[in-house]
Amino acid sequence: MAATAMLNTSCEKVSPQGVLMAGTAVEDRVKMSQLFYKDYLQQSSNNIIVNPYDSKLHGYSFLVGSDSHVTTDPGRMDEMFAIGLENNDLLYCHLGDIADTKPEYYITLDKSIQYAKSNYVQKYYEPNELGRYVRKGDIYDDYGILYEDIKFPFFPVVGNHDLTHNGWALWSNLFHSSFYEFDVICGYDEEGNQICDHFIFLDTASGTLGKLQVDLIEQGVLDGEDYYRYTFIFGHTNIFLPQNMQFASTFPREEAYFLLKQFDKWNASIVFCGHVHKWDEQIFNMVHFVTLDSMSERNSPEAGDYLVRVTVNEDGKLDIEKVHMNYVAKSNSDSDSNS
Amino acid sequence: MIITCISQMGWAQNCYIPYKGYDGENKNEISAYVMGGTNVVTDGFGGLEASYTRHITPRWHVGGDAQMQFGKELFSVDVQGGYRLPIKYGNIDFSAKVMYNFYHKFGFHEMAYNISATWESAYVDLRLGETLVHYHSHVWGIGWGYTETPLLTFGFGANIRHRNNPWNLGLFFRNYDDFYYENWNINWGIRWYAKVKEQWRLFGEFNIRPAGSISQLASKYEGSVKIGLKYKW
Repeated sequence: MAATAMLNTSCEKVSPQGVLMAGTAVEDRVKMSQLFYKDYLQQSSNNIIVNPYDSKLHGYSFLVGSDSHVTTDPGRMDEMFAIGLENNDLLYCHLGDIADTKPEYYITLDKSIQYAKSNYVQKYYEPNELGRYVRKGDIYDDYGILYEDIKFPFFPVVGNHDLTHNGWALWSNLFHSSFYEFDVICGYDEEGNQICDHFIFLDTASGTLGKLQVDLIEQGVLDGEDYYRYTFIFGHTNIFLPQNMQFASTFPREEAYFLLKQFDKWNASIVFCGHVHKWDEQIFNMVHFVTLDSMSERNSPEAGDYLVRVTVNEDGKLDIEKVHMNYVAKSNSDSDSNS
Repeated sequence: MIITCISQMGWAQNCYIPYKGYDGENKNEISAYVMGGTNVVTDGFGGLEASYTRHITPRWHVGGDAQMQFGKELFSVDVQGGYRLPIKYGNIDFSAKVMYNFYHKFGFHEMAYNISATWESAYVDLRLGETLVHYHSHVWGIGWGYTETPLLTFGFGANIRHRNNPWNLGLFFRNYDDFYYENWNINWGIRWYAKVKEQWRLFGEFNIRPAGSISQLASKYEGSVKIGLKYKW
């Protein structure tokens, strides 16, 4: 029975070598991510400002998707970005297993992201006479920025299926860092204090944080400022097992308890996970845990509520809702919806 | 021939002599081992374990175990019992276990309830069972608990020599250890025993505990060594 169950988990991404050799790839990923992130922070802030031209407007929303497993059909990724753009979501987060690990699938994914960015720029920016882009509504910036310097607010974490077949080389080529944090600066309260929310992204793709990531967390690398209104945490591997998904791994005991304690220390509001392709919600230690279903058209072929939107309202109240996806793959799904 | 259980778990806990038949004469077994290793979260750790088993009859046994792990700040106790059913090729050992763990470092209390059936043959053993785990912590002045979905418990072991030999060496794969039960985090390693005197056995194991399932390209999480001594009377 156990052996049968193990075989049933097999697919071309399964690697017995992983169990037998006990690789330490997570350490390399975190090291690379940390170095990249430190350099990036020295050059520019990763923080996002909500309504920079009216600091009294504090509300915003963001969209979360998971386990898209993009291959040749980017339909669901395109739809996620389109939904976010239509709703004016501030940013988009992805919980890993974004594409299956073949170079051509990452080309598909990159096209989808570039297509979404062009729509994003078209909606929120306008070109000036210098051929540069100025944010609509920004009356102070005449000079603008280059198209390639416009940051498309898409923030993924790495998943286990992003690692197979040397997938980290593909994933990191697009996204660079699997371990990072940033602030969403929402404005100022009546007493002049900055209202700030915290976004933390963890590399949990291997089912463990690894020694370096644990050390960095304990050193407070992700702690940010002293005070946040809300803290949102994103990772791939689920903490809690949905009732009917027994054959999926979660963290080892000590690490699960370490994370639950750390979420409490971070005063986390919502922790988002994926991995098991099954919706689940739990509240533990006053933290709301949401495990998302797969948004992949192969794992979830029917239209359904595969995304989650979190809305931070003007009054600071937090709302969370499922978001419906309509895209259904065509029977011959080699088409590129960008075209 | 009456043979006692040889499950990996039973090494240190509810068997007198690993891989050798229970002689039906001794009523008591006691064992202890020392352990040490490294863990991703807690770094180095070490600990002590002690076990006692009482054979009520040649078929029925009960026992208990306790451990302290320094570094992890983990304290555990369990009680268990079992019934051994001889079959043509070995035995099937039906067992039940209730375990309490206190992860002091993280402030978590954990209860685990396991039932298992273990088939034991001369060279190979296979365990299947179910485990229910509940844990809770206490923050914000409130206790928070969570009961996991029942976990499949499985273990496989194979030895290079017939179990009647005075020393043996084997491999194991399993998703549990003496004081924890996992889901698809499959630990594996090498186990051995050696006869010291008629009533004494040395035993030990080297255990690699990865994090993540096969499809997660399991990563190094913990490595540990156990060395122990067992005595019957």
